[in-house]
Amino acid sequence: MAPSNPTGDVKSADLDLVGRIRSGDGAAFETLYRQHATRLYNLASRMMGAHGEADDLLQDIFLLAYRKLGSFRGESSLGTWLYRLAMNHCLDVLRNRQTRMGQQTDSLDEPDAAPVASPVPVLGAVSRIDLERAIDSLPPACRAAFLLHDVEGFGHQEVGTMLGISEGTSKSQVHKARMRIRWYLANGAKRAES
Amino acid sequence: MNCADLNEALVDLVDGRLDGAGQRTVERHLEGCANCRALVEDLRSIRAAAFMLDRREPKAETWSKVKAAIAAEPASRGRLLDMGARRGGVNWPVWLGAAAALILATVIGLLPLMNRTPPAHDDTAQQATDAAQPTVDSVTAEFEAAEKHYQKAIDDLQTIANKDTGELDPQVAAVLQKNLTVIDQAITESRAALRSQPSSANAQSGLFEALRSKVALLQQTVELINEMRKGNQAEAGRRAQTLSQ
Repeated sequence: MAPSNPTGDVKSADLDLVGRIRSGDGAAFETLYRQHATRLYNLASRMMGAHGEADDLLQDIFLLAYRKLGSFRGESSLGTWLYRLAMNHCLDVLRNRQTRMGQQTDSLDEPDAAPVASPVPVLGAVSRIDLERAIDSLPPACRAAFLLHDVEGFGHQEVGTMLGISEGTSKSQVHKARMRIRWYLANGAKRAES
Repeated sequence: MNCADLNEALVDLVDGRLDGAGQRTVERHLEGCANCRALVEDLRSIRAAAFMLDRREPKAETWSKVKAAIAAEPASRGRLLDMGARRGGVNWPVWLGAAAALILATVIGLLPLMNRTPPAHDDTAQQATDAAQPTVDSVTAEFEAAEKHYQKAIDDLQTIANKDTGELDPQVAAVLQKNLTVIDQAITESRAALRSQPSSANAQSGLFEALRSKVALLQQTVELINEMRKGNQAEAGRRAQTLSQ
């Protein structure tokens, strides 16, 4: 994966690709799409949960990227820039949805899930479906950090750059997400089955 | 180390990023604390399961929609994005002010479509919609009529280009035509989707979106040409006068 502080070669390649797109090279834009669409689609899909807007969001994200390419300066890798733009857009959409539904958005200092104290592991094999539901239940900000770090495999420094938070806050959000997922899988999933 | 100390090290521990000394300290605590051992094991299970989640692929048609939307975008720095070929930038010359009048006439012909409200996404609500509301069929028919008008404008443009090749950059016409082709492809695909699922709100919405993209491209073309006209009013005026004759 491209680092958030790109090396000279990466930076040069990114700036070259952006330059070609801005010069009217549609094939260069397709290259950008092919490189990042699947990963962004997975992010958008899981950020939106069961609400099924991922294809529309992906379209919006690449349209936004095209409009904002002029602001790319190579300070981070093009991938990091693109994921930051994508996550900001997803969080905006979620905020707007929550505002319409009269819900409160989560803040970074939201309390952690109640700890599950057990002398033996409470989780067996974690099923994909249960995990997807647990991720869907997370507050947006910590869901974003969890998806970027644990699902997509970005480092905390990159996650911080993408979400506009510090590396330490990224760690804190990922930890909070894991604890909430553990609680959900130990309690919420069982309640849903009964 | 106690349980609270471990909590601070949990993220790095689960991610395998503790240094040797830190790792040994944590392991000593875990040997004597069953609750923390269980917690670490659970968090590692979650971490592993998250990394193994399946990869979802976007629909193939999403790229077509992105291409159509980009093709309809205002050109950056006065350049259209060529969605059809791999080559360098297109230099828009100061050319054919008359083209603005030609395409403007086309857009005027399409204006009734540009203010259409997209169909309701709820199929039940759609069925209850007043019969006086535009249907996909009626809008498509209007569009096809307008499309013929548009095609005439393109043909006229080509005639001028053929007569006056010294001033019309063929690359410009080619890029414009390729972008229109991309949008036309999206329209064709949307119509096919609507034929297979006539009552699908998504298919209806897709067709409207593709049609609006084409209208938007025409709008942007006019704006672009108008900008070029600002750079050479004398030439634009002469061409407009030629056209009006």
